[in-house]
Amino acid sequence: MSGMSGASALVASLEAAGVDVMFGIPGGAILPAYDPIFSSSIRHILVRHEQGAGHAATGYAQVTGRVGVCIATSGPGATNLVTPLADAAMDSVPVVAITGQVPTAAIGTDAFQEADIRGITMPFAKHNYLVTDPDDIPRAIAEAFYIASTGRPGPVLVDIAKDALQKMTNFKYPTSVSLKGYQPKDLPDAQGVLDAADLIAHSHKPVFYVGGGVIKAEASRELLELAQLLGAPVVTTLMARGAFPDSHPLHFGMPGMHGTVAAVTALQKADLLITLGARFDDRVTGKLSTFAVNAKVIHADIDPAEIGKNRFADVAVLGDLKHTIAALIPALARALSKNRPDLTPWLQQMNALKASYPLGYDLPKDGALLPQYVIERLGKISGPQTIFAAGVGQHQMWASQFLSFEHPRTWLNSGGLGTMGYAVPAAMGAKVGAPDTTVWAIDGDGCFQMTNQELVTCALNNIPIKVAIINNDSLGMVRQWQTLFYEGRYSNTDLESKRVPNFPMLAEAMGCVGLSCDRPEDVDTTIEKAMSINNQPVVVDFRVHRDAMVWPMVAAGTSNDDIMIARETAPDWDSQEL
Amino acid sequence: MAQHTLEVIVENSPGVLARVAGLFARRAYNIERLSVGPTSNPETSKMDIVVNLDGHALEQVIAQLDKLINVIAIKEILPDSPQPTIHDTQPDYQN
Repeated sequence: MSGMSGASALVASLEAAGVDVMFGIPGGAILPAYDPIFSSSIRHILVRHEQGAGHAATGYAQVTGRVGVCIATSGPGATNLVTPLADAAMDSVPVVAITGQVPTAAIGTDAFQEADIRGITMPFAKHNYLVTDPDDIPRAIAEAFYIASTGRPGPVLVDIAKDALQKMTNFKYPTSVSLKGYQPKDLPDAQGVLDAADLIAHSHKPVFYVGGGVIKAEASRELLELAQLLGAPVVTTLMARGAFPDSHPLHFGMPGMHGTVAAVTALQKADLLITLGARFDDRVTGKLSTFAVNAKVIHADIDPAEIGKNRFADVAVLGDLKHTIAALIPALARALSKNRPDLTPWLQQMNALKASYPLGYDLPKDGALLPQYVIERLGKISGPQTIFAAGVGQHQMWASQFLSFEHPRTWLNSGGLGTMGYAVPAAMGAKVGAPDTTVWAIDGDGCFQMTNQELVTCALNNIPIKVAIINNDSLGMVRQWQTLFYEGRYSNTDLESKRVPNFPMLAEAMGCVGLSCDRPEDVDTTIEKAMSINNQPVVVDFRVHRDAMVWPMVAAGTSNDDIMIARETAPDWDSQEL
Repeated sequence: MAQHTLEVIVENSPGVLARVAGLFARRAYNIERLSVGPTSNPETSKMDIVVNLDGHALEQVIAQLDKLINVIAIKEILPDSPQPTIHDTQPDYQN
């Protein structure tokens, strides 16, 4: 026990929680905390916008598996964190946000820079606190880290009144956290595991439907063993890219709105979905009533509220997927020794689809630069260890399709909330978490114009990320929908980004190296040049064809059975035996 | 649709009512009746929430309610029983 200010107790608590880096901006209400931060061992990275701090914390957490931390002042500082915290909630990312609040006596008076950030974040934060007593700070911080990082991970906000930071307290960090209303269940019930194994051993068309939970649970190795034991097709959702190696013969790609024909069809035609840490999101299921109608469902997840939320589960297994899959391996081996179904016809069907409908694109005759080609070359040249962060839109889908992922925690994107502007700050956080790994942000020209200010932060703090702007002059995904569903009436999707701003000059102005490329024959040398620069952030303006579209596509609200491989072109189902 | 009463034990701390009410609002569930009162333990309060939900939707409400950190226990008082049957949902909804 030692007497210190609430602010010092806050910083001592963060140190005790194991924080090594945080992203933030000071301001009036949080100012007392910034004095002890000045002399703390924690690295504080001064961002240029609080949204950048939040996404950076997310990127850091996604790459390291540790809790990401961001800090901001009251009012606008706090409300600028709302988008990244909502983003972290949708993608189950462990983030702790610290915000200053106006002094206790001023709360509720519409004081300068007052916003009820606890109330604002209540609908999506995993939990949040308003602390008005300095004695409560260490416990609130300890609980916040515990809640953020256990069970289904998520964002926790701790709002601290300025007077609580200024008053004196006796610092004592809790040695353990116990919450009556929160007891995450890590170990699966034995019966659920046995039921799941039995169901699998009696299925003839099983599919592993793998979600981001497998990455959160660090269960990739277990998944590989389980998948090989059964020898069934594996599909990885947008959040699960890298959870299972793309190069593995049992991998059939990403399911969903822009998934592969093989992955979408595998789910549709399956008689059993072995659902691991996925949540039957509408972007995966399409029209829910027509999704995988003949399939039974095993749903393994750590969040009980996901069971049966969108799709009935015949067998539910609650628990940490690392434990669940580890328990399922011997249980399945026993079940298979009694009854081993022949999955050969099923695999043959899926392999035929995979061969007939690979992801691809046609090279234009006019020599224009295609976005898919740029992204494919980025993946090939930078290699499978590289960490990629994407924004939201066409470039995100192409990145998920045309990069090859071999390892977990190498693919960061805003899957659930769909936050444009995620890529640059998330890549910054990722690079801080993995300084020895190449980090590429693949961004759209629309997204880039939302959060590129963090390149200044990167340039000044020795965070040499690389940014590939897939510049198609427009809000590409919205434009694609206008092409397909609004008779080509391009209302407000023309950004004119090839004219203004000049991205390489903008990059140079922010202390980065700016490059550009508009010819296919220059792509490789441009990427290699960017790869050779490691003492500064690099921005490459890839000026691509604006009419390229993302295919395959299941139009919103339609059935996965109606997947299109190109405009007005469905797969030739008659030639497939399904 | 039958009316169900959920007896929800919560931490007696500021903002808990807003958390519970907000959950019902954003998940588009209607509250028929709500009362909040003290328990013998000053650290907890009891909410009686009457909802017009059945089966799957009711299970979802209970599961979502139990995700709130300040919610300690949920008991469902089954309708149409001569003696109200109480089953503690807590072991099934631990997270």
